[in-house]
Amino acid sequence: MDSRKNNEDQIETEDMSDNKSSRRQFLKKMSIAAAAGSASLVVGGCGGSSQTEEMGLKWEEYFKKHYRLMTPEEKDATVERLERLAKLQRGIDVQMSNQEPHENVLYGYAFNISRCKGYMDCVEACVKENNLDRRAKTQYVRIFEMDPGQLDPTAGDGQFHHEVPVENKFYMGVQCFHCENAPCVKACPTKATWREPDGIVVVDYDWCIGCRYCLAACPYWGRRFNWGDPEVPKDEINLNQHYLGNRMRMKGVMEKCTFCVQRTRKGKLPACADACPTGSRVFGNLLDPDSEIRFVLKNKKVFRFKENLGTEPKFWYFMD
Amino acid sequence: MALTAAVVLANQPAVASGAPGSSSVTDRINHATEPYDSMQITTAYELSAKTVQSKEEYQGGTFKVLARKDQISRFRCSVCHNDKPVLVQNGALFTHGDIKVNHGLGENQLTCNECHSVGNRDFLVDKEGQKIDFDHSYQLCGKCHFRQKRDWLGGAHGKRETYWAGERVVRNCTSCHNPHSPAFATKMPATYSLPLDE
Repeated sequence: MDSRKNNEDQIETEDMSDNKSSRRQFLKKMSIAAAAGSASLVVGGCGGSSQTEEMGLKWEEYFKKHYRLMTPEEKDATVERLERLAKLQRGIDVQMSNQEPHENVLYGYAFNISRCKGYMDCVEACVKENNLDRRAKTQYVRIFEMDPGQLDPTAGDGQFHHEVPVENKFYMGVQCFHCENAPCVKACPTKATWREPDGIVVVDYDWCIGCRYCLAACPYWGRRFNWGDPEVPKDEINLNQHYLGNRMRMKGVMEKCTFCVQRTRKGKLPACADACPTGSRVFGNLLDPDSEIRFVLKNKKVFRFKENLGTEPKFWYFMD
Repeated sequence: MALTAAVVLANQPAVASGAPGSSSVTDRINHATEPYDSMQITTAYELSAKTVQSKEEYQGGTFKVLARKDQISRFRCSVCHNDKPVLVQNGALFTHGDIKVNHGLGENQLTCNECHSVGNRDFLVDKEGQKIDFDHSYQLCGKCHFRQKRDWLGGAHGKRETYWAGERVVRNCTSCHNPHSPAFATKMPATYSLPLDE
């Protein structure tokens, strides 16, 4: 089954490359010529060589390929350009990775609804780690205070201004569930979002056209839209970035939880799981029978949210 | 371009058929029985925190726990708890007047010597008189909290330190719980969340 799926993915991407890259290559050549032309104009006008460089890089970025169609060299090149652009535009020394998924790894997550105390340290850690827009108060992870018996987080309260935990309430964390059969991926008209081989659903921000079909398709409220340019104080920007993860987004593109791809592919826990003081968040490799997440699936009472939709989320809730 | 769209769309239902049934992700997980050597992820390097080799087994292998003795400000205890006389004016400093025990249900609070060894203050002690090292307090806690210990060994209670890969390092019981008052305190949340449909 998997090989069949992969084949189909292959067909699709091959198909894309046939049609687009030649046209893109043509446009790229045009663009370089144009950049050279405009560069000379800029030099003549105000004499800023860094401005010329920035313009050239922006042209190159504008005409690059879809991330999945890039060769490793092209991926390195775009990451290098983005690092340089961050330096020129914001004056920050970003270290951007394009690390590929590990083989035989499928990430999964489990959330203990009987342990979470509603402290929301996870939410804050996520905002800092992923360079989320402080002005629009974008959050990938949300926590809701729930009455016993409730299991629908839309009925919960996320704005509790009292000490937690409160007796006879429980706390439910919601984020992107990284569905194996993700409706958001199917809804995207430009293939700007896809599921990586290690199970993480990612977005190529440079390929997203901001139509928000994915936002409408997701039954879990897992996606966030940038209505404006995201604002992050310069000294709070996390410089350890990933192309598919927490690099700076722009106005008009979708973003979402990536299981902190910049951390997890280096073997670290996602920021939310690392920050949790109660141990309610379990993360690991679903394909490893000795992993903690597999222990939870095997030994605890687990359920998935809206499992009947057939979306196959890789995020389980469990109880002690 | 139109051709691309047509081909891509034609492929969509096939991809979508990954819905419940033969190809579910749970099937795939259940079929994965080969242990994964997470040591191959070399970026999950050693931690700066001090760790000790645990005296328990995890999935047939070993693991490490965060060390505790370094965190105890007045360890070793036998520096004071010995036969030497103590001046009365130092008494207030030397007694542990700052420690309030809130461990146990209602009236059934534990007393100091139910965990601390009377004979050798550098060790904990269980009901059978077995000495237990402070670094391995899970051996003592697990005597009563055996369900939590079982979950902790497997990974459903407590947490790993920083990495999901590499050598398994988990927090000790006392890394998260104050043994004298083990229940988590109430506090104000760090932030708030907007409703889901906004």
